[in-house]
Amino acid sequence: MSVVDQLPGGIPNRGEVNPDAPIMLECVDLKKSFGGVPVLKGVSLKLEQGTITALSGENGAGKSTMMKIASGQYRPDEGRVLVRGEELPAGNPNAAHALGVAIVPQELASVLDTTVYENIFLGRERRRFGFLDRRRMIREATELLDDFGVDIPATARMGSLPVGLRQIVEIVKATSTGARVLLLDEPTSAIAEREVARLIGIMRRLRDRGVSLLFTTHKMEEIRAIADRVVVLRDGGLVTDAPLSTLTDDDIVTAMIGRELEDLFPERPEVRDETVLTIDELVVAPSGAPVSLSVKRGEIVGLAGLVGAGRTELIESIFGTRPVLSGTVTINGEKLRPGNPAASIAAGVALVPEDRKGAGAVLSMNILQNGTLPRLGQFSTFGWLKGRSRTAAVAKSMESVRLRSRGLDQEMETLSGGNQQKVVFARWLTADVNVLLLDEPTRGVDVGARSEIYRIITSLAADGMAVIMASSDLPEILSLSHRALVLRGQAVVGELDRDDLDDPGVQDRIFRLASGMTSHTKGATHD
Amino acid sequence: MTDTKTPAPAGQGTGAASAGAASVAPTGVRRFSGRWFGDLAIRYAMVIVMLLIIAFFLYRSARFGTPENLTTILIAAAPFALIALGQTLVILTGGIDLSVGSVIAVAAVYGSITAKAFPDNVWLAVVTGMVVGLIAGSINGFVVSVIKVPPFIATLGMLTAASGFAYVAGNGAPITGLPASFSSIANTQILGLTLPVILMIVGILGFAVIMRRTAYGMRVYAVGGNPVAAQIAGVKVGRTLFSVYAISGVLAGLSGVMLASRVTLGAPNLGQGYELDAIAAVVIGGASLLGGRGSIWGTALGLLLIQTLNNGLDILTVPAYWQDVIKGALIVTAVAVDVWSTKRRP
Repeated sequence: MSVVDQLPGGIPNRGEVNPDAPIMLECVDLKKSFGGVPVLKGVSLKLEQGTITALSGENGAGKSTMMKIASGQYRPDEGRVLVRGEELPAGNPNAAHALGVAIVPQELASVLDTTVYENIFLGRERRRFGFLDRRRMIREATELLDDFGVDIPATARMGSLPVGLRQIVEIVKATSTGARVLLLDEPTSAIAEREVARLIGIMRRLRDRGVSLLFTTHKMEEIRAIADRVVVLRDGGLVTDAPLSTLTDDDIVTAMIGRELEDLFPERPEVRDETVLTIDELVVAPSGAPVSLSVKRGEIVGLAGLVGAGRTELIESIFGTRPVLSGTVTINGEKLRPGNPAASIAAGVALVPEDRKGAGAVLSMNILQNGTLPRLGQFSTFGWLKGRSRTAAVAKSMESVRLRSRGLDQEMETLSGGNQQKVVFARWLTADVNVLLLDEPTRGVDVGARSEIYRIITSLAADGMAVIMASSDLPEILSLSHRALVLRGQAVVGELDRDDLDDPGVQDRIFRLASGMTSHTKGATHD
Repeated sequence: MTDTKTPAPAGQGTGAASAGAASVAPTGVRRFSGRWFGDLAIRYAMVIVMLLIIAFFLYRSARFGTPENLTTILIAAAPFALIALGQTLVILTGGIDLSVGSVIAVAAVYGSITAKAFPDNVWLAVVTGMVVGLIAGSINGFVVSVIKVPPFIATLGMLTAASGFAYVAGNGAPITGLPASFSSIANTQILGLTLPVILMIVGILGFAVIMRRTAYGMRVYAVGGNPVAAQIAGVKVGRTLFSVYAISGVLAGLSGVMLASRVTLGAPNLGQGYELDAIAAVVIGGASLLGGRGSIWGTALGLLLIQTLNNGLDILTVPAYWQDVIKGALIVTAVAVDVWSTKRRP
């Protein structure tokens, strides 16, 4: 008999609050600061047995911190966590585990070289006479997987599975150790659409067995699909906690961003009649189709699509950090040398990459050094760094994005996410930029800094830059860009002009294009 | 040594930086307070430890403080200094060069052979040693930056292979009967200091300036701090990596010839184990083995600390094995203090 069968029933109907349902997890007035910056400002929350709660909010709202406290990874500054009435010792993940609280983190911690069954039984291996009883582990793992309707062999290597299935293995592992409260941090952020459906099925199945689930998301369709209850955090405070049935989409969005969408986005700049960037039949992946595109001064072109659709690849190929298979990129009539970032930079191309901490900035260096790095040639004479003129130029560009810092010698590491992103923008502005390539420019940036970054983007476009912006945030694409391309499978599958983007049904249309559902495309695939 | 601990004169110039319009420059004199003193103590922990050690040896031994002994310390430090400088660059990129000890040996042997063949042009021996070092370093650099073998493995291979070459070249025996002109190289006196000591001082000053004041220095720090970000900023990461191993090799080659000249012997076991003292000096100086953090001044200080300790313990006739125990403890303590103080920073 598998462990899952032993879970108690007790299934409340969807959307209704059952006053008799036992409270599985209760957070009381949680407060937490990092380096003096409050991330949670007193949040309370109750999870009932057999319910799915969506923990929603913008990036930086405090969702992940909340989960890490509830699972014992972080110690709250104030407040406490109760699991079925029993107080969780602060900052003790093992105690949380023993009380039946399991977390499936955003970055999965699976050991990729192990098999599925080894991973499921990691830390509680079945033994026989002191030796591993592999046959028993494989048998039990197979039962558990069958129970969830997951059709993968228990002996498959974790590394050979797609991320979505690895995640499901982690969920199976968590629940098979007797988890009654399951915390899922951004479970759908890195997985394919088909896998999302499977994940949702498994979450429902767990709920029906009486497990309480809390998952973070900022996607409306997921909230609509599975949540019984919606909790919205904004800037570390709780702004909404209500059954889904009592909320409209607008209620949730307004709660998340704290203002109407229009206030967040500045006016689009005027497009000038002068083409800066021409991409001709660029092929970036063996499976991809050639992409052609031209962008004028002042124009912002959005790139929409799912994770893995090829947006990042396209941007990196234009910039030169990724090899190009065929095709050309031309800036102001001059062909770019492919695969050579230094040449692209000299031609006035700038890249603000997706993974800010991993790719955008050198965190161990200070603001001045990061501001110098992309234009070392300009800032040195025969290899010797310039003094005053360099400092002045970097200071001026940092001022232009209204960077808040203690000085140019402040280390990047000690800046907030929003300010780091401003440095990553501003370090290009010490010389003329013709083409600005942005990859997820506001990921991990809080709402306040986000609207500032939108203002920076539009003012740079207004100054005459051609902007290409890849984003998973649809409102960002819809509100900022003059045109948007939808990518799927390394190819452009749709191009939407301003009128298309203003159409009320555009979100649905982009989603269908991006996911490859063609039933209602209204003939939008004009490459 | 983390950036904040770098003494200001060699740094980017805090004053110049905060003169930028975007910054809020803290003006006025900082008040003397307990907190301030504590921060200062951490920032200059290594200097304070060094002063304490010097004070202890001065108190225990009349010989320690003599000018002759100071010269002895500097002469002993010189061969380590050159390889520690190269090692600093390599470690700043997040790598490590385990081969420098063997490169010293192979350069010493080939330098000695050249000196015997051309006793009238002994400077050829110096050039030979440096070229041998350049070849070894370039192979390291190529294997690391192009073939992308982890630096630890690549230079471990070179450590073994170069040592083998050193024995092959002399058929397993040291090169003896070296001309007096060769041994006079290391004894050349300039301003009362021998040539290796001069090279050490010039090397430290030169590299301190290069690492702080040139585009090259900034590239090395950037590649170590974040290779992906460096690439996006247009830095040629592979070229930079190659260069630090090549430089490390040349310096090891130079160090090897000087050492052979000083001892008048082209022994294939010269420099054995020196790489560990060089790495220790860099790490005691506050560099992170993950790259991106560290400084030439830190390495110089770490180097002098180790050499002072060696010398003082010798004078006090502490047995060699106990000296190793003390040195080992010092390395771990130094890094522990650095980790702890880094955590304390805002």
